[in-house]
Amino acid sequence: MQLAKPRSIRTGLAAVTAALLGPGVSGATGEGQSETSVLIYSESQRVTAVEAVYDLNRHLKGPYSIGLTLTYDGLTGATPTGGAPSKIPQTITRPSGGTSTLVPAGQVPLDNTFKDNRFAIDAGITRQVGRLATLSFGGHASAERDYSSLGVNGGITRDFFRKNTTLGIAGSWFHDVTSPKGGAPIPFASVPTDTVSTGERREHHPGKPKNINDLVVSLSQVIDRKTIFRVNYSYDRATGYLNDPYKVLSVVQGLTEPDPGEPLFNVYENRPDNRTKRAVFGEVRRSLGRNSVDLSYRYFWDTWGIRSHTIDLYYNFHVGDSSSLEPHLRFYRQSRADFYHPFLVDSVPVPQFASADARLTKLNAFTIGLRYVFSIEAGSRLSLSAEYYSQRGDRSPPETFGTQSGYNLFPGLDAFLLRASIIHDL
Amino acid sequence: MKQLWRGLVAIAFLAMLTILGGCGVVGVKAWQRDILARPEMQFDNHLNNRSIDDHVYFSKEAASGGRGFGGGGCGCN
Repeated sequence: MQLAKPRSIRTGLAAVTAALLGPGVSGATGEGQSETSVLIYSESQRVTAVEAVYDLNRHLKGPYSIGLTLTYDGLTGATPTGGAPSKIPQTITRPSGGTSTLVPAGQVPLDNTFKDNRFAIDAGITRQVGRLATLSFGGHASAERDYSSLGVNGGITRDFFRKNTTLGIAGSWFHDVTSPKGGAPIPFASVPTDTVSTGERREHHPGKPKNINDLVVSLSQVIDRKTIFRVNYSYDRATGYLNDPYKVLSVVQGLTEPDPGEPLFNVYENRPDNRTKRAVFGEVRRSLGRNSVDLSYRYFWDTWGIRSHTIDLYYNFHVGDSSSLEPHLRFYRQSRADFYHPFLVDSVPVPQFASADARLTKLNAFTIGLRYVFSIEAGSRLSLSAEYYSQRGDRSPPETFGTQSGYNLFPGLDAFLLRASIIHDL
Repeated sequence: MKQLWRGLVAIAFLAMLTILGGCGVVGVKAWQRDILARPEMQFDNHLNNRSIDDHVYFSKEAASGGRGFGGGGCGCN
């Protein structure tokens, strides 16, 4: 097996910016590294996704290194619409008006016609500036059937104190456009119950843009021979069209109506047109003999009223000269957005903003996984991993009443992730 | 459940502090970087896998960012 060139901690710390900038500027060993990954993501009776990623990092002559990432995502399956269950079967129509689905009585409506493909390209270049600093620039472009994104990013790192400390700052700007078939729906307008003709759906509608600005400040510190620590502060500001055009809310009968809680009709959601997200992230990695442990914690808060805690733990077991086993545990918890409503009530004033998107409610998630990496030939490794992801939310939010009290408004999410990667040292 | 979460966060902090607290003087000399130079001690080791995981979480949860940039680039959330 070809021995990888020993990496200086300088290279490792430069990778702090790599982590900030996303793909394209990783401090790979030797002349570089390529990685080809395939991920299969499968939710029980819901979405199935396949993701293929090709990632290349290569050192060029002189102070430059480049990175390239190509991604393909294919998704299909059923996803919750945000609508409320009914005691009778419901017929729901896609926001595009193209198809309708029959939802069994008492079940959370799922749109089972969900299907999308996504292609993305990310490229970046890093320049070493003197012995102590790096400059990085990159770009992003991606396209889906109903969504496109263009982005640029840049960052700088600087070492201090005999390269034991590295400060990094990175920023990015994205311009994304949502273009659902049939046009972006009008907030709180009723969802049509009849399908519309193909011709109408193919009418051109202008896309709805949003801009996202990100800033990440990072401090990394070598603690001792076996320990490295970093803390990041991230700030993300999004403005523009932040609605999900495929999410709806049910308007249910009020307490004084004949059948309290029973859905009458569905309306489109409406979210604020701006959102500021902040997060503090701390990570410590320590060598324990030939093994190592990585523990990180993130506290997240945003202007939509969401707070979240995330704990990630990896333990890397050295099980031979060229193989390792890495168990992974992750705990996640979030509070609900200020404007989350499981449903709206008929004859009660409509709030300024409302969404029944299950991702905006109170929920806990748990991940357990195992990764095995082993050498397949000189300079090449195969990585296999399997993970189980489970999400549990508020089955009966406090405002639930009438017939809604008898339903589970947050069916759990259980997903399996299987991934295979081939890594080549260049 | 809330108490369980507080406990988990407290344990995570204590574990971080314990790991950091046993370290004595902060920083190393140039000739003491042998262990830190190992691939498994790099924060970007398996970065591609972490990015793919983060993409999944980005599409299923409200929070994002922290490890890197937090938004944009995908219509999945």
